Amino acid sequence: MKLVILGKGGQGVLFFSRILAQMAIKEGKSVKATEIKGMAKKGGTVEVQMKIDEGHTPLIKRGEADLVILLSPELEDYGKTFGEKILKFTEEEMKRAIERVPLKLINTYFLGRLLAKYPVFDKNTALEVLDEENRKSFLKGYEDEKKNV
Amino acid sequence: MAKRLYLSGNEAIAYGLVEGGVRFLTGYPGTPSSEILPTAQKLKIQYGFKGFIDWAVNEKVALEMAFSASLCGIKSAVTMKQVGLNVAMDPFVNSAYIGPKTSFVVVVADDPGPHSSQTEQDSRIAAYFAKVPVLDPSTVEEAYLFAKRALEISKDFEIPVMLRTTTRVSHGKSDLKLSKLISQEEYQPSFKENLKNWEKELQRLAATPKLRLLLHKKLNEKIENIAEKNMPRFFYEGSLLILTSGIVFSYLVELIEEHNLQNKITLAKFDMPFPIKSQTFSEFRRVISIEETSPFLELQFNTEGRRNGLVPKEGELTPEVCERILSKLGLIPERKVISIPPLKRPSLCPGCGHRIGLFALKKVFGKKAIYCGDIGCYTLALNFGVTDTVFCMGASVSFATTIKKVFDEAGKDKEVIGIIGDSTFLHSGIPPLIDAYHYKVPFLLVILDNETVGMTGNQKTPAQKVSFEGNPLNSIKIEKVLEGLGLEFVKVVDPYDYKENIKILKEAREYLKTSDKPCVVIMRHPCVYTREGLLNNPKRPLQVLEDKCTGCKFCVIEFECPALNFDEAKKKVFIDKTLCIDCGCCVFVCPKKAISEVKV
Repeated sequence: MKLVILGKGGQGVLFFSRILAQMAIKEGKSVKATEIKGMAKKGGTVEVQMKIDEGHTPLIKRGEADLVILLSPELEDYGKTFGEKILKFTEEEMKRAIERVPLKLINTYFLGRLLAKYPVFDKNTALEVLDEENRKSFLKGYEDEKKNV
Repeated sequence: MAKRLYLSGNEAIAYGLVEGGVRFLTGYPGTPSSEILPTAQKLKIQYGFKGFIDWAVNEKVALEMAFSASLCGIKSAVTMKQVGLNVAMDPFVNSAYIGPKTSFVVVVADDPGPHSSQTEQDSRIAAYFAKVPVLDPSTVEEAYLFAKRALEISKDFEIPVMLRTTTRVSHGKSDLKLSKLISQEEYQPSFKENLKNWEKELQRLAATPKLRLLLHKKLNEKIENIAEKNMPRFFYEGSLLILTSGIVFSYLVELIEEHNLQNKITLAKFDMPFPIKSQTFSEFRRVISIEETSPFLELQFNTEGRRNGLVPKEGELTPEVCERILSKLGLIPERKVISIPPLKRPSLCPGCGHRIGLFALKKVFGKKAIYCGDIGCYTLALNFGVTDTVFCMGASVSFATTIKKVFDEAGKDKEVIGIIGDSTFLHSGIPPLIDAYHYKVPFLLVILDNETVGMTGNQKTPAQKVSFEGNPLNSIKIEKVLEGLGLEFVKVVDPYDYKENIKILKEAREYLKTSDKPCVVIMRHPCVYTREGLLNNPKRPLQVLEDKCTGCKFCVIEFECPALNFDEAKKKVFIDKTLCIDCGCCVFVCPKKAISEVKV
């Protein structure tokens, strides 16, 4: 599985990717990733390329990602160069998510939605690696996606 | 007990070094090498072993410190980026002649691309130049294993060993099985203990040129012995041989497997690209070297590669570039090149003290003044016209001195300003300032003091009062250093105090009209990227008054804060509150007074 996660500094791209990596390790799968932060810090583009259970290097050739996760919708054109399948959360979805969970837990809420849509990992693996409050927000996201809220 | 961890290449190197017995580790931060030392510090706290693990003022000092620790019998290592090795070149070359008494490893991180460096130089060639063996890992796991191997080779042959990594290995992350055997290694320094032997020791430790020739001969013997045992590892069984090392090996493995080229290509992987015995590989139809970033194997084995245009002479050899090379060789069909839209250029963080400080500088000295910049976050001030040159660490001071001097000699008036960060100033800004004072060159030096090494991830500077283990340190005060040099005009200002800063900069400008000495304004404000800096930052929320905003974009262009955005539909500026930290600095920027305080 080849994943690309894109967002802006401060959005939790690295947190998001590290949770995915922990889940891979929990399931006994190999994980290779690269974190590209660039020169700018807050507000700069953060890019994570990640291979789960395959490959020797983390780098993904353009056009070959199985899934591109956008935490920042304006990076869509850039994201598309990695692959056609894009998972993004629109502004409206963001707003709705903030109503469901506190802002600082928004990433695990979206992680829940992601795993409900694409079962990259088992739901229970996520529950094992997350802490109490993140687990709750993850489950809300997971169930919202299943119920198509 | 073996444990599976998720580590970056740099973290893996730290584990390898510490497990291999390194108890003296120093270096100077530089992307992509900066995370090695802090990881080792965490291990020191976790395991509580004796030793020294902390930053040095620059790479030259760091290398000298680590090498001399090895002369005391303490296993040591030093970390730096590739251009840092240039700074440390003198002791590096010398350390090969003298030779360490126990393990001494020089970790150098190269930056093909370059992603965040001045050059794409290949440190394997620096190792060759110094006659130092060099290991070149291709994966995070190898980074860990080679760190230990480097320590062993170094100890066995009493020779420095370079561990050369690159951005993709250093910043790559991988699941990794570690032995995590961190022993309470005996920490017993020894130096000049046996006076009977000391005369003989001196022939090595303080060798005169005549003895240096003998040391050189000894070094050559060590290199030949290491080369004798150093063989490449072969993979696959095609008639076309590709010589490679480093991360490119991993890319090629993936491509060979993806395109089923196992019967067409043989890969020869050089874990240690130097020193190595000369060989012809005559059993192969064709021999090509594919390696980052210089033709190092290509020159040693006289193969195809860069010399006949197969391999690009500059830039990173990404998987796509490697794939195109295989297409050129006719092994796979050509793939369409996907054009990549440009990303937004990097800017200083919202609320950064450098921005408002340099905005004030521009306001007082105008666009005609010459601004000599330096290496650090503030390089990004070139985005809003307050940096005209960026060269290498400390060059802001030598450039400003020289440019001012050159115009002075011609009897021409020119306002010249050097801009340097606190850590860069201590790293290599002091020697050129000595010359500036000595030769009576009146220019303004602005020292942007955020009390941290910002760009590389907020490492500590010598201003810090407490070590990572909580022990007290002597804090260096830059203004004391400057006064000690003999400078008269040294002022410290918080750039958030915009009006005071403008006043001081005007005074400096006046002072320079009659002075024959350089003057310094230290703009001191904590880095807002650190938790502490952000928590202690003032909160001065602002708003854009839409009826007053004329859409002139002055603030967007001349202040360039990522939180100030232009709404193309409304033709008005708006504040992106997800990025804004309420620093309140842009209130001083708008010429129409359309940015104003939010009344609470």
